[in-house]
Amino acid sequence: MPTSTVGHTPSLSTFLKSLKTNDIESSIELLVSLLKRRQIRNSRQCALATTHLLLSVVAKERIRDAQKLIERIRSVGRRLVAAQPREFAVGNIVRRVLGVVREVAEDNEDSSVGSELLSPGTPTTPGTSEARRPHLPKTFSEFTPLHGAAALPESFQTGLHASSSELESLAADSKPQRPSLMSSTTSYAAQGPSLTSLFSILQHPAGRSPAGSPGMSTPTAFSPSMKPSSSRPATPQRPGTASGPKEKMDIKAEVIDGIKELLDELDVVDSQIAENALDHIHSNEIVLTHTSSQTVQKFLMTAARKRKFTVFHAEAYPNNHEATHATILNGAAGDEDTDERWKPLTDMGITVILIPDSAVFALMSRINKVILAPHAVLANGSLLAAAGASTIARAAKTHHVPVVVLSGVYKLSPVYPFDTDELIEYGDPSKVVAFEDAAFAEKVDVVNPVYDHVEEDLVDLYITNLGGCAPSYLYRIVADHYRVEDVDLSSKEGVGAAVKAA
Amino acid sequence: MSDQAQPKGEKPTQPAAEDTKISPAELKKRAKAEKQARRAAQKEQTGGPAAAEPSTNGATEGGQEEHELKQKGGQQQKGQQQKSRQRHGQKPAQDSRPERPGQSSSSTMPPRRRPSQSNTTTSKPTLQPKKEKREIELFSHLTTHPRLHTAGTTASISKDIHPAVLALGYQYSTYTICGSSARCIEYLKSCRPLAESMGNAIRWLKKLIAEIDPAMPEHEAKDFLGEEIGRFVRERVVVSGKAIAATASKQIKRGSVVLTYAKSSIVEKTILQAWEQGTEFRVIVVDSRPLFEGRKLAESLIQAAPGLELEYLPFSGLAHAVRDATLVLLGAHSMLSNGRLLSRVGTASVAMQAQRRNVPVIVLCESVKFSGKVALDSIVLNEVAPAEELLLPFPASSAAAAGPSAMTSTTTKDDDDDEAPKLKHLKDWKEIPNLQVLNLMYDVTPAEYIRMVICEYGSVPPSSVPVVHGMANAMEV
Repeated sequence: MPTSTVGHTPSLSTFLKSLKTNDIESSIELLVSLLKRRQIRNSRQCALATTHLLLSVVAKERIRDAQKLIERIRSVGRRLVAAQPREFAVGNIVRRVLGVVREVAEDNEDSSVGSELLSPGTPTTPGTSEARRPHLPKTFSEFTPLHGAAALPESFQTGLHASSSELESLAADSKPQRPSLMSSTTSYAAQGPSLTSLFSILQHPAGRSPAGSPGMSTPTAFSPSMKPSSSRPATPQRPGTASGPKEKMDIKAEVIDGIKELLDELDVVDSQIAENALDHIHSNEIVLTHTSSQTVQKFLMTAARKRKFTVFHAEAYPNNHEATHATILNGAAGDEDTDERWKPLTDMGITVILIPDSAVFALMSRINKVILAPHAVLANGSLLAAAGASTIARAAKTHHVPVVVLSGVYKLSPVYPFDTDELIEYGDPSKVVAFEDAAFAEKVDVVNPVYDHVEEDLVDLYITNLGGCAPSYLYRIVADHYRVEDVDLSSKEGVGAAVKAA
Repeated sequence: MSDQAQPKGEKPTQPAAEDTKISPAELKKRAKAEKQARRAAQKEQTGGPAAAEPSTNGATEGGQEEHELKQKGGQQQKGQQQKSRQRHGQKPAQDSRPERPGQSSSSTMPPRRRPSQSNTTTSKPTLQPKKEKREIELFSHLTTHPRLHTAGTTASISKDIHPAVLALGYQYSTYTICGSSARCIEYLKSCRPLAESMGNAIRWLKKLIAEIDPAMPEHEAKDFLGEEIGRFVRERVVVSGKAIAATASKQIKRGSVVLTYAKSSIVEKTILQAWEQGTEFRVIVVDSRPLFEGRKLAESLIQAAPGLELEYLPFSGLAHAVRDATLVLLGAHSMLSNGRLLSRVGTASVAMQAQRRNVPVIVLCESVKFSGKVALDSIVLNEVAPAEELLLPFPASSAAAAGPSAMTSTTTKDDDDDEAPKLKHLKDWKEIPNLQVLNLMYDVTPAEYIRMVICEYGSVPPSSVPVVHGMANAMEV
């Protein structure tokens, strides 16, 4: 991995330094080229770079209108995603930032409009936050990043919803808006939000259909405040809502605060995940893990402070075995610019056994737990991880060994894997057969996939920085973190074409 | 010794044997490794065959052989082989420890046997303390053979071991000869029973020897044995290999995508035969560390079948390889009686992924590799190769295999060493407490992943393995 090993080539740290001096446009260009050249890779680094870039975009741009800011971020995000569509963290962060902007914008609207119009009896506070939620799943389930959801015919979407609910199809206008199916699933998923979700069902058609709905008596009051997003940016109410330049300044400051919070989250995500370690690792356990991952190392180290266990470490040859060996021997590397390394697990009295990937099946019958770190987690609970993970997870399933996936929320992507092939990146074949062996390499197709798609049924548990959850619950976390209108960043242009070009 | 008794497998050993004669130091090392391998093998063998053989018969036969060996220098090699075979053949009948002194006292030349015995015992303690710490608990029952290039052998070694034996031992330990078929052939020339095929061969030979009329003159008996050995090799290994290749190549249809893992001579034969028949198909070779046998297979396929479409993936790409495949052909180390397949480590994963994609998994296996043993998992019946094999290719492969990135990585490693001397290299793993490196050789593939086993008796489901085993290995001869 050039990024982690070579100091002088462009990397995350050099990018972050240049961000302070360069102007926005060249910074964006720089990040795009770094992503294209794979000089910034790994979810974490991509996430950090993107967050910092967007922070300076927001800070330096003189955009005051929230809507324009959203447009600006979207366009930047589109370029970044097009540069490296398989680094899902980039898109995820862009979506999160957009969510921050929208929230700030809506809060302001709430304060200006809502204060006058909302009756005190209405459950405002939970309503505003919760009512947005149900929008999402319907869109992410139709969305696949590389083909682009835009490719789906509109009729297909509406047809789908019409079949799900008669009433819905009546109420819905040309945009397929209200997934009644979805809201009912939300009520299964969580007891708390279910009330408000149902509440929002009632509310939604009320804003749209002239027939109105029995639940809400003040639909007009809610439509601007609660779903400004679904009634797209161009909603007539919107320009009226922002009352003055002062508030717009506040928007910018609040957005910056929000992005900084995001950065903080990226900082502490591993520690938060590691807090769960003792709940999952008992003493004398035999744990198997794969490749080098800071998150996993930290998780295991936290457990190692209290308990003794054995770790089998598969080395992930040929793409990451050097980093894996380094992790085992010298401890996980901290952030790449700081040279600090954590203590290796062996120093903490943990027995670490290095094995080649091929021995995983043979050993699986003696292993208690498999811990994987994903590259990206997809909305249906499946995940992308370093090549070989699929074999490991399947072997674990065969032996009924639980598979635990440690993933920060920033790796969680609203992408739905319709075609898993397009999600896989193929890496440098010279890692498999050296260029010096031209005689051999010429006559043979050497293939070196970097990622594996691991189906959701192979995963037993996800541990995110929010705690543990089942793969089937992930869509809900997705819904909490991304706004439906941001899921498809490429709505303005076909990302599918951009991908093919890249 | 008749020419028939010299199957082709012997040829590589003899030049090597001459080489060994040149350098006595090397010879010593080889002898040492061979001895240890044999010791381990003997341990393994004691549990193995339960054949009821009159032990006295075997002992006298062994004595005769040895006696003859001493007298005839020219016949030395053959005699040596047979002698060692005898030794193994006897094992099951008597207990391993008391057997040796008894046999050597009965034989006409004790000094040959004794030094080797004493050597191994003396060398054991020197190696033991180093190993003990390193043994992985789960696998402490499996012997780790210190390989030649790792074991710093200083102990004195008997020079009486025939060079051919040493050379073969060397070849085993360096994986020049690896894979059950090759080893089976080689076994008949020398000995280190580890593969199941070897076990079967021993059992066969033992039986044969038991059947020989004790009144038969020595050299006649030896000639007879030699012929029989030649016949065995031809029938059970060479011809059956051809028969299997002929059957299996019919499974490769036009447009097939054949996936294979590591290297099996019989899979290679099958692929080549299908290619010669003019079938258009594609081959995907999946390879793994540390042996890179798949690479050897790919290279020899390139040689033998230029134009054959070949795809080569590391083990991590398995899930992708299986996606395209229409047929998985696997070689076997051994077929176990409960229908499971003992083969190169990683095979089980290949079969698992193939089964998940509904790709038929076909095992090509001569009946000589069928076994009466049963195993449920890969832990009990296995061989642990020395961990150094997993390490040594590492700097070499990264320097050779990964071109520019390797350059950078090695340079950074040096840098790291400069700025932070605490950074360790994997080479020093023995100095790092709690760190272990495990290098398994085989794994066991569950029977439900295997669609069909093709042996020279035809195509059978894995459940029929014990039947064929009984037919082929117990009844025959």
